[in-house]
Amino acid sequence: MPRTIKLHPFTILAIAVAAITMTTAASLWWLSCTVIALCLLIAGWAGHLKKLAVLNGAMLLPTFLSLLLIHGLIARDPSPAIAHWGPLRVTVHGLEVALSLGLRTAVLVVVGLLCGLLIDKHQLLAAIDLSPVPPQLGYLLAATLFLLPQMAEKQRRIGEAQTLRNMGTGTGLAGWFQRMRLRAVPLVLASMQDAQDRAVHLSARGFPATGTRTRLRTVPDSSAQRGIRWAAVICAFLGPVLILVLARMGSH
Amino acid sequence: MERKLSEQSRALLGLNLGSFTYLDSQDAVLHDIQLEVRPGTLTVISGHSGSGKSTLGAILAGLLPRHGMDELAGTIQVGETQIEFSSSSAPRVDVAQWANHVGLLPQDAGHYLSGIRGTVAEELAFSLENAGVPRELMHQRIAELAHRLHLGKLLERHPQQLSGGQERLVALAALAMSEPEVLVLDEPLAGLDEQAKTVVSEMINLLRANGTALVVLVDSVGIWARDATELWQLSQGTLHSISTEELLQPSGQPARRRPVDADARVLLNMDTVQLSYPGSTEPVVRNLHLQVRAGECLGLAGANGSGKTTVLKAIAGLIKPSSGTLNMSGEAGLLLQNSFDQLFERTVLREVSFGIPKKSGLRLRVPHVLAQLGLESFAQTHPYELPASARRLVALATVMIHEPQILLLDEPTEALDEAGEAKLRETIAAVLERGGAVILSTHDERFMERVAHRVHLMK
Repeated sequence: MPRTIKLHPFTILAIAVAAITMTTAASLWWLSCTVIALCLLIAGWAGHLKKLAVLNGAMLLPTFLSLLLIHGLIARDPSPAIAHWGPLRVTVHGLEVALSLGLRTAVLVVVGLLCGLLIDKHQLLAAIDLSPVPPQLGYLLAATLFLLPQMAEKQRRIGEAQTLRNMGTGTGLAGWFQRMRLRAVPLVLASMQDAQDRAVHLSARGFPATGTRTRLRTVPDSSAQRGIRWAAVICAFLGPVLILVLARMGSH
Repeated sequence: MERKLSEQSRALLGLNLGSFTYLDSQDAVLHDIQLEVRPGTLTVISGHSGSGKSTLGAILAGLLPRHGMDELAGTIQVGETQIEFSSSSAPRVDVAQWANHVGLLPQDAGHYLSGIRGTVAEELAFSLENAGVPRELMHQRIAELAHRLHLGKLLERHPQQLSGGQERLVALAALAMSEPEVLVLDEPLAGLDEQAKTVVSEMINLLRANGTALVVLVDSVGIWARDATELWQLSQGTLHSISTEELLQPSGQPARRRPVDADARVLLNMDTVQLSYPGSTEPVVRNLHLQVRAGECLGLAGANGSGKTTVLKAIAGLIKPSSGTLNMSGEAGLLLQNSFDQLFERTVLREVSFGIPKKSGLRLRVPHVLAQLGLESFAQTHPYELPASARRLVALATVMIHEPQILLLDEPTEALDEAGEAKLRETIAAVLERGGAVILSTHDERFMERVAHRVHLMK
């Protein structure tokens, strides 16, 4: 059973943004690895380790491979090669560049995905609704966050109905493509129809609110969290500048 | 929620409609309708599927005419405001403002729910949140309403995990939460179990006593006749007054069921079956024993959420039992509760032919099945454009084309008008006649009594 983290969604997001910007600016392999390890530890504590590992693997493996291909194998840098096969040559510098860029991307992906797993989307929506941002932002986020789960549920129901008619029951890759083909059009049509049917009742219920709005859901917050958020936002913007200035001063 | 009944003389909502025509349509769907709705009254408007009830409901709720698209000639009076519509002037209506006076529960109650809230309690509070009502007051009003409607157990549930009946109840509660003066309810009792029907009826009485006016749109007047202030029949696009006496006459033929042979072949046997959904910790159905013989129609009864749909899905092969045995002879065909889930093609003809190989002999049966269900004139129509009853019959046709040995029907009478229900009864009789079996889940006790040989109560 996954554990829930009782922090304000903005606190998690602010810390995440600060971690990403500062790690990217520092560009130190050990710092990137520490941040990734910390993320994995948090994911393990929250019960999302497997999910995070699978999602990261799916996104980072192709990224690393493409970086390795561009900078490690077919790069034309003049540094000495440690191995070569015909036109392909692996250089130390090429590997360093691929690893450095890969680790920076990995931090962005791991931290971003962890945020997605830790933050309850209803809490995030409530936090936005309760903040002074324009109501349209909450509406846009709600539409984006809930469209996919709703379409997934609709797709499941269409799949059930097609299975009842012995369609889309094939196995393997061919079966998967057949199911996608059969479900795509009804899914789009049903989603459009559903949106049309729902929109008018949403308007009748006053959504999106034009005046003051309130929320039944409470989002836990404290002055300590507000302090952390401010500190994280300052670090996110000034941290990279400071790191770059220090790096430049060090190089002179 | 307290309103003064001394305001009886003042009409809360008045409609003087010359004609209403949808965009891209030549003929008026509705014409020459005068209707006045006063505080505390119950106006019942009956009409067969496709007669224009939902259109009338949407006009009363300010959702139609769509600005710059449909054409309405006439006047609508809401509270103190009178709005004139004509072919040359079509004022833009503020739907949210209108909803403060007139609220509409649509036929598909799920459409009323926002789909962007995590619990039933939040769904109930949705309109209040958008109106900026303080949290403490929202909690208080939700607690009061939940107590009255026995919704306490549902408050923390996810709205998408509700059964069809529970969804309707929650939608009605959400509608009542913003306390409009007039409630327009499109088939409010469809899909509700007896307890939920009683709760809704009690709620309607309570709302009326507090001065809320109700306009109920139904296929047949049925149980509404006794309490209605005004009874109308919507046919040929206009309203005709009908009397209570006329409706209270006993109607319909008594049930004539062929008895099941004691030695008839067993088509379905379920023994100590347990059913669960993937990812859920608790089984939905435990220790189920069912046996159905050829020529037998079995009814599944039980409260909303008791697992009737789950059992039908298990027999159809969509859910595998987590324990116990399920043996079946022949193919099963399932009519799902929501017709929209079962329709994918752009014409009725293509829909019924969907999934059948081009060279299969079943293709030749398509016109016959359409004719049997009275759908031949809709062969080239898009299923989404059909009236609800015809759409339900198209979904049934997609099942019947495969000649299932066991016909499974999930709330089959929902959205069916009288003519559609007669077609459904004929279909059931035909399946039983050819040695098949029928298992149906319904809250429509009258229909159950007419067609089922026995009833299994799900707990």
